[in-house]
Parts: sequence; structure tokens; C-alpha cells
Amino acid sequence: MTTIQHGLSREIDTVRREALDHLDTLRSASDATLWEGAFLGPKGQVTSLLRGLGTLPAEERPIAGRAAQQLRDELAAAFAPLRDRLETEALGLRLASEAVDVSLPGRKPTIGAAHPISTMIDELVEIFALLGFQAVFGPEVETARYNFDLLNIPAEHPARDVWDTIHVQTDGEEIVLRTHTSPMQARTMERIQPPVRVIVPGVSFRFEAQDASHEWQFTQLEGLAVDRNITMADLKGTLQEMARQLFGPERRIRFRCDYFPFVEPGVEFAVDCAICKGRGCRVCKHTGWLEMGGAGMVHPHVLRGVGYDPDEVCGFAFGLGIDRLAMMKYGVDDLRAFANNDIRFLRDFARAIG
Amino acid sequence: MKAPYSWLKDYVDTKLSPQDLAQRMTMAGLEAEQLTHIGEGWDNVFVGEVMTVSQHPDADRLVLVDVAAGEHRLTVVTGAPNIAAGQKVALALVGARLIDGYSEELKYKTLKPGSIRGVRSEGMVCSAKELGLSDEHEGILVLDLDAPVGTPLADYLGDTVIEFEITPNLVHAFSIFGLAREAGAIVDAPVIEPTLADLTGVELSDSLVRVEAPDLCARYNAIVMDGVTVEPAPAWMQRRLQAAGIRPVSNLVDITNYVMLEMGQPLHAFDLSFVEGETIVVREATPGEVFETLDHRIRTLTGGELLICDGVKPVGLAGVMGGVNSEIVDSTTSLLLEAANFDMVSTRQTARAQKLQTDASARFGRGLDPELAAVANARAAKLILDICPGSTIRCSQDVYPHPPIVRSIAFDSSHVSRLLGMQVEVETMLPILDRLSFQPAYDEASGFLSVQVPSWRSDVTIKEDVIEEIARIVGYDSLPATLITGTTPLVERDPIFLAERRIRQTLVAAGGFEGRGYITISDADVKRWDFNETAGLGHDLRDRPLVRLRNAIPADDNILRLSIVPNLVKSVTKNLKHERTVRLFEIGHAYLGTDPNLLPDEPSTVAIALAGQRERFDRFDPPSSEDGQLDYFDVKGMVDAVLDLFGLDDVEWTPIEHPALHPGRAGEVRYRDQRIGIAGEVHPRLAVELGVEDMRLAIAELNVQLILELAATANRPEVKVARFLPVEQDFAVVVDRGVQARTVQQSLRQFAGPLLTGIALFDVYEGPQVGEDKKSLAYRLTFTAPDRALTDAELGKVRKRIERGIQTRLDGSLRA
Ligand SMILES: [Zn+2]
Repeated sequence: MTTIQHGLSREIDTVRREALDHLDTLRSASDATLWEGAFLGPKGQVTSLLRGLGTLPAEERPIAGRAAQQLRDELAAAFAPLRDRLETEALGLRLASEAVDVSLPGRKPTIGAAHPISTMIDELVEIFALLGFQAVFGPEVETARYNFDLLNIPAEHPARDVWDTIHVQTDGEEIVLRTHTSPMQARTMERIQPPVRVIVPGVSFRFEAQDASHEWQFTQLEGLAVDRNITMADLKGTLQEMARQLFGPERRIRFRCDYFPFVEPGVEFAVDCAICKGRGCRVCKHTGWLEMGGAGMVHPHVLRGVGYDPDEVCGFAFGLGIDRLAMMKYGVDDLRAFANNDIRFLRDFARAIG
Repeated sequence: MKAPYSWLKDYVDTKLSPQDLAQRMTMAGLEAEQLTHIGEGWDNVFVGEVMTVSQHPDADRLVLVDVAAGEHRLTVVTGAPNIAAGQKVALALVGARLIDGYSEELKYKTLKPGSIRGVRSEGMVCSAKELGLSDEHEGILVLDLDAPVGTPLADYLGDTVIEFEITPNLVHAFSIFGLAREAGAIVDAPVIEPTLADLTGVELSDSLVRVEAPDLCARYNAIVMDGVTVEPAPAWMQRRLQAAGIRPVSNLVDITNYVMLEMGQPLHAFDLSFVEGETIVVREATPGEVFETLDHRIRTLTGGELLICDGVKPVGLAGVMGGVNSEIVDSTTSLLLEAANFDMVSTRQTARAQKLQTDASARFGRGLDPELAAVANARAAKLILDICPGSTIRCSQDVYPHPPIVRSIAFDSSHVSRLLGMQVEVETMLPILDRLSFQPAYDEASGFLSVQVPSWRSDVTIKEDVIEEIARIVGYDSLPATLITGTTPLVERDPIFLAERRIRQTLVAAGGFEGRGYITISDADVKRWDFNETAGLGHDLRDRPLVRLRNAIPADDNILRLSIVPNLVKSVTKNLKHERTVRLFEIGHAYLGTDPNLLPDEPSTVAIALAGQRERFDRFDPPSSEDGQLDYFDVKGMVDAVLDLFGLDDVEWTPIEHPALHPGRAGEVRYRDQRIGIAGEVHPRLAVELGVEDMRLAIAELNVQLILELAATANRPEVKVARFLPVEQDFAVVVDRGVQARTVQQSLRQFAGPLLTGIALFDVYEGPQVGEDKKSLAYRLTFTAPDRALTDAELGKVRKRIERGIQTRLDGSLRA
């Protein structure tokens, strides 16, 4: 019995010594893995010692078992901190070797850009939705009736001279490329009853020579509100709210008397220059004001023309150039850039407006 | 309209500076577009008097002039032919900055002392051009005899010309007096009436004028004068005409122009000796009638134009231009002055038909006040009497059968505040309306305000017009900014706008840049893309006549686009000059003709055009030797991404033959038997023609409008959140080459049954391993059950079912 016991305890001692001696020589995480396999792993020496216990007589097993278990715990306790240290070292080395220049360009997905005018329209639609204005869209090829007649611009009236018009070849009917988005005023009012609040973003056309500030094809925003008690002060406030959203707080709207046949009174409206705060700069041509468009109270003839009673309802209307608005907001100095489809411009623009 | 400030001040008594006056008038509706200062740089230039003129000792063509200007007295050398002793001239001293009279473009030079042919010259007598007053450099500028000698020229001749933009409604301000009258009302300053000839006691003729077309000529005022002499107009008048942009001719013609500018009424002076029978007849032209206008052009009339005739022949095209046969000549001694009121529409039509826009037609074409005619004629007569000593008025006639009735407007005064949204007191309104000559009256009991509209304000017809008059004078700066009160209408979001926005976001995320191009194309484009009755790109063009423009810019691009593709492709070509990869798209309309007298349809459309390198040139994707060019599958991928947005359950792609497209790489996409778009590579021959060489040009176009309509009825799958893990299995299907991928996919879907939750093609192989005329399509199928983890047995059954199905349906097999 004792010899067996003795033999096992000697074996335990040998394994212990061997294991601890080896432990001192471990220098890397892979060494540690090998050591763990050799001693503590399922085929390791300590494991086979424990497995060998079964061959002992029953009365000897507890003592021998305790001793072997003790060895296992002892070795595990000695190994754990060393392994942790070696693993940490190894990880450190790996991470160090993987370091990159963080300023190198990333794997960027190929992303394009929306057109600035589309972005501007999206923004305007959103701003006016908050004020209860619905965006509506109408035909770009229009009848003279909607483009002129119903807007109080009769044929042969000097007012028609204001619009240089592009005509469609027809068999008699006067059909034009709409010279403004205003035809949708009449189309909308013919369709619904007050209260009316709509905006009309869309492309319009003039027979006009092209230069840095004139395009024969351009984009407009029309606005129309008709109800029982709409005032010209409401018009100013609505435009001021738009200016606030687009150009920041403290922007002011200035009205100056002007003539548009479909409104009375009629004004041209300007916003004080956000760049120089009204003191005058290059962008506002040293006037402190940026002209934005025309506006006024819907002319009673227009209301009557669509079957509204001007004694019952009144309203305001405004129109502005979205291209000019985008130029103003983003400092583009050539209107033609908007129709060029030059990727460099589109890319830079998308970057500029974020 | 150019208005010299000094001229305005003849009629309005204001202390405001030209700048301040311009600003005030601008805000009140008379926009001052530009201010030009005359005499701004006239330092060291004075009014001088020519004391003596003597011959230069060494030069025949030069003279020595002794000029006195206050404390300055000097001798200058000049070659000016028109210089004479006793004249008042502009004397420039050394240091004066003048315009170079001999230079074509505007060039300034500073006067230095010098000697001309041995005679020292200390200064210079200036021409109008050297002072910037006109282009005249033939002789020196001769001032009026009463010019104050010794004063700086800027004090005597300095002025500011304000250029006003006159909107169509403000014809009453289309004159110096009209502007002055407006200024008086706007800044509350006294207005001075013009001085007129006293016509009392002048013989009233009844045979001078006969108006045979009273509908087109509401008034004809004629004055006959004798004893006139034709010579240059006085210097002050010439200067004013020049400042206003009109070239002086001779005194009588200049006076008619001067009065037109001053009063706004075009006048005409006929040499009476050429007016046969000393009678004017106003009648309509007969068709084919021929007449030579003052510009020496023979005009053939269509008939109906208003003509001014004498006893036998036409002498003027009414409201547009006079005739050569009766113009004022040097020998004129008697004249007939015409101040008439011609019909606005008739004048416009004649001027347009004859392509003859004149100062007169511009005024008549806006509708003039008939009251103005007699006043302006009397003003002209007064100027002739003043300027031509010895002239007399012989007789006059005023044909004016129906003077217009004064219009009165009355309304509740509270309406002013209600429309404007700010309180305006009646006490404020009355003086404003009074200044504007509206003769306001207020009835306190009823609160009603009534006005009498002055004859020159034909633009004021309703109460809103009167309210604007009040508002523009009060000024809009005092208008508060409020928001609309009352019920907010419900806002509906436009489905097409929303769809377009989603398409835009998707295509931008897919690398596309959004263009916005012109909506017109040319005949060359139509031919190139074969937009005839049957072929189209995104739209079916059967029974869709072209929509053409009468006046397009540029003139050749006179067809409304049937497709966005042609112009978008042009943008691709332009971009390829500086980009390796071009992905452009545009969302807009196509314009499809209907009936020539009806509006075209404008369906919402999206087009895509790609060309160039697919891989980006960077450190992750070094340029590879394989064909890395964008092609059909890039554009189709973008189309697929767009179609995915609308949940169309199963679209059908079929190859198409289109003359503009690659015969083997173009397909149309249909949904429920309706064509919703196309995708393809442009035919290489056309691509080269369009400037795209050595690469593929891939295009696509979708009918967004139709897609949206169809999507509304599509069976959209239920959205389920899977709780059990999916299982993926690969199937390599070997079929005949001619079988479409779509058919294979449909079969896989059908035989896989309800457990299938995903299907993706990941390889296409043709080659020896599958045999001749065969191809292998490798799909990864994803299976998920809603309520359990799938077992191998279950999936094995599915696999068998698929295998059998492929065999029987497609005569194909599964590759191991
Ligand atoms: Zn500024």
C-alpha cells in the first residue's frame, strides 16, 4: 500500500517539479498553450494522474485523489497569471503591428448628390408645410387662359409685355410654356374652396437671352393663401418666416411698391442681406437688401375669374425664383451652373450645403 | 425713362438730394434703376467767355483764343471750327481730368501745360465729348449766352440723370412732368404746372382735321403756326435731350421730342406746305396701301392700320412714325402741330406688325390720357413762340367728340386697414389722396370714402387700386409682420413628389448625380434616338405627335423632349472630359403630344445615364486588367433599386430591338403587361456619334407616373419579423442558354414554397463543365419558418421538390 502511495506521491512530485520548471521557461502565448496541453489539458500529465486514480484500491483513492487535485489546483493557480500576462503581451504585439495611419482615406461608398434646386425645393416644401401650405404641381405647358387671361393679363394689354413668352405651335389655340408658376393659382382655386394655402414649386420659361443672371428655363416658387381675413401683414409675416428658416433669425422683409397684374396692391419683396447684416456688401450690390420676388394681395378680378366672391374672401400671392434663392443662400454667382449638369459643381455644392 | 434731376426740379419744388428722391420714389413704385452724375469730375473747368480769336502765327488751321473766366484769363490754342468771340464756353485749366476726344473707347487724360506749334497753351476749350456730355467732338461746346462767367462748370451744368423703370400701369409717370407730379405726392412737395401758350382768341378752324376712324382716334388736336425758322435748338434744350437719350436735330423737331419727354404725349410737326389742302384726314389704311416712313423704309400695310393723311396722301403712320413726304425741312416756315390720342391696341398691333417700336408707339401702346393732347400741344406752341421769334399761331382745331367721364370710387374706409392689416387713419388717407389729385371726400356718418380718379390714372379702377395708392405713400415699412389666422386647411402630400424624392435619395445613394436639364431637343435628336411613332425609350410614343415651339432658345431645340435621355447623355459626354466615372440621373417630365390644340401629357419620368470606369481609382481597388467599365448591369442595378422602392411583386424583363440601342444589351421592363421603362447600352455607333468612345454608354428610363399607378394595386408582401434563424442553401441550376434568368428564379420561388424568404443569384457560368448551349445559374436561397427551427429532413424534402420541378418545368438539372 505504502509503496503504491509512495509511488504515486513520487510521481506527483515529479510532475510538479517538471511542470513548475517548464513554467519558468514560458516566453510566449503559444508556449503557454503547449504547457497547458502538456499538463492540464485533457491529455495532459495531471489529467492522466487523475485518471490513474481509478486503478487504486478504494481505500487509497481519497488520499491520492486529494494530492492529485491539490497538484492540479496548484499548477492552475501558478499558470493563470502567467498566461494572462503572456496573452496580454501577445495581443499588444499584434495590435501594435496592425496600427494604421488614421488619416488615410477610408473605403468610401460611391455616393452621388442631389441637385441644389431639388434640395432647395425640398427645403421650401418643408418650411411651408409647417405653415399649413400644401405643395401642388401643375402643367408646364399651359394655355394662355391660365397663364395670362385668368391672371388679369388680357391679350393686347401692355402688362403682357412684361413676359417674353415661348409659344407652342398649334392649330389656333394659344399654348405657351408657362412664364411663371402663377397659372396654378387659378387651377387650384377652380378646384377647391377657401381656405386655400398652397405653394407651387416648378420650372418656368421666358424667351430671354442667357447670361450669368438670366436663364430661359428657371425654377419658381408660387405661394397663394385665400381666406376670409387674410391681410397684407400676413403676407409679410409669412415671407419673413420663410426668410427666417432659410437665412436665420432676425431677417427682415422689405416691401416696395411694384406692379404685377394679378395682385393689388403689388410689391416687390427683399430680405435684408444676411452676409453684411444690411450694411452693404458685394452679394447685395451694396444695397443691404436682396430682391427675392413679387407679391401682393390677389386681384379681385382673379378671384372673380375662378368663381370666388371678392367681397367674401381675399388673399395673398407671391412668386420667387428658386434658382436666385439658391444663388443667394449658397453664394453661386452664375445661374447657368444650375443647368450645366457638371458633376464638379454638383459634388462641390452637395459638400457645401452638407 | 431717363430723367435729369434739374429738369424734374422745374416741376417739383423739393430740397431732397437726387439720391434721396430716387430712393423715395423707388419705394413708392417708381424704381430708379441707375443714377448717372454729370460733371462729377469737372474740377478746374469753368464757364469762360471768348474775348478775342486770332490766327495762329504758324498754323493755318489753328487759332489763338483769349478766354476770360473770373480771375482766370489765358490764351489757349484750338482748331475748333465753331469758335467765335463773345461765346460762352467750357474752359479747362491745367489739372482738369477730361475724356480723350480722339479715343474710340472711354479714356481719361489729365490736362498738362504745353505748347502747340510754338505757342504756349495754358488750358483748353472743351468739346461735349471731352466733358462726357455726348459723343460730339466736331467743335467746342457752346453754352447759352446767359451762362455765368467764372463759375465752376459743375455748378452750372452739373446734373444727375435718374433712370426710372416705368411699369406698364404707370404710363402717367412716363414723362418728366409725370414723374415730378409723382414726386410731389410721394415726398409732399409742391408741383409746378408747365407754362402753356395762351390760345384764347386763336381762330378755331373746322376744316383742319377730319377724323374718319373715331374708334381708333379719340382726339386730334392741331395747331397751325406761321413764321417759324428752322435752326439748331438752344443749348439747354439740346443738352436735356441728350441727357435723356435723344439726338438733337433742329429746333422744331427737338421741341416735339422735348415735349414728348416732358409731358409724355408724342407730337408730330408737319411742314404745312406739304400738307395738301391744309387738311388732315385720320382714316384706316386700305389693304396693300404703301407708305414711306421717316426712316426711309417703304411700308406695305395690311389694312386697318390708322393713317394720318392730307387731302390726297398718307403723311403719317398714326402713333408710330411720320412720313418723309411731310417732314420738317430747313425751308419750313409754317407747320401743323399734331397732338392726338390713338388707340392703344391698334398702335401696338401696327408697331408689332411693322417691327417698328418708336418712342411714340411705346407711349401710345400703353394707353394715354386723351386730356393730355391739348395740354401738350399748347406746351409745344409755347416753346415755339419762345424759341422762334416772330412765329405766330394761325389757328387750331380740337376734334374730341367724347371726353371720358370722370370715374368715381367709393368704399368703406375701414377696408383699408382690413386689407393691409395695419391701422391707417382717415386723417392720414385724405391728404395723401389729395396730393395724388383724387379729390377725396369722407362721409363720417357712413364711414365711406369717395374719390374722383384723375384723367391720367386709367390704371385706377377699383377700391384696391385706391388702397395701394394710400399704402405706397404711407410706406410699407410700417406694415407689421403677422401670420395667417383662421382654420388651417389640411395639407395633403403629393404622391408623385414623394415618390420622386425617394427615387432621388436611392439614386444618390447608388452613386448618381442629379442633373436638371433643358426640356427641349432638336430634330437631330429625334432622328438620332429614333423617336418616331412606335419606338420610344421610357414612354410609348405611339399616337404621340411631337410638340414644337414657335420661338425656342436656341432656335433649333424646338421640340419638347419625349425623353430625358438625349440631353442627359450630352451631359455625360461633357463630364467625361474631366471625370473617370459618370453616373447622372434626372427626374422630370417627358412631354407627350395629344391633340395640337390641347396640352401635352407630362408624365413624371426618371432617366439614368452612365459611362466610364466602374472601379474607383484608389488604393483599395487598384485598376484591374479586366473590363471594369460601367455597363448594362450597372444601369439595370440602379433601375432594380428604384423598382424595389415600389414593391412591384414581379416585373418582367424582355430583350428589345431599338435602333439606338445595343441589339444584345437592351431590355424593356414590364409590369402586368404594361411597359414601365427600358434599360440598355447605347448602340456603339450612336455612342461614338455622341462622343463616347472606347467605353459603354448605359442608359435607362422609367415612367414614374405609371409605376406609381401600378404600385397602388401591387400585392405587397406582409412584413414579418423572423424569430428563428434562417438557413441558407445554394442551388446551381443548369438549363439551356436561352432560358431567362427570370424564368429560373420564378421556378425556384415556386418550387421552394412558403419557407423561402430570400433568393439571390451569385454566379453565372457557361463552359465545358455544363456542356454546350447550357448555362449554370447559381442561387443562394434563404429559408425561414415563422414558428420553428428548420430541420435537415424538412430542407431535404424542399431540395427534392426543387430538383424535380427544375427537371420537369425547365428541362434542367441541379449541379452538385
Ligand atoms: Zn450684403
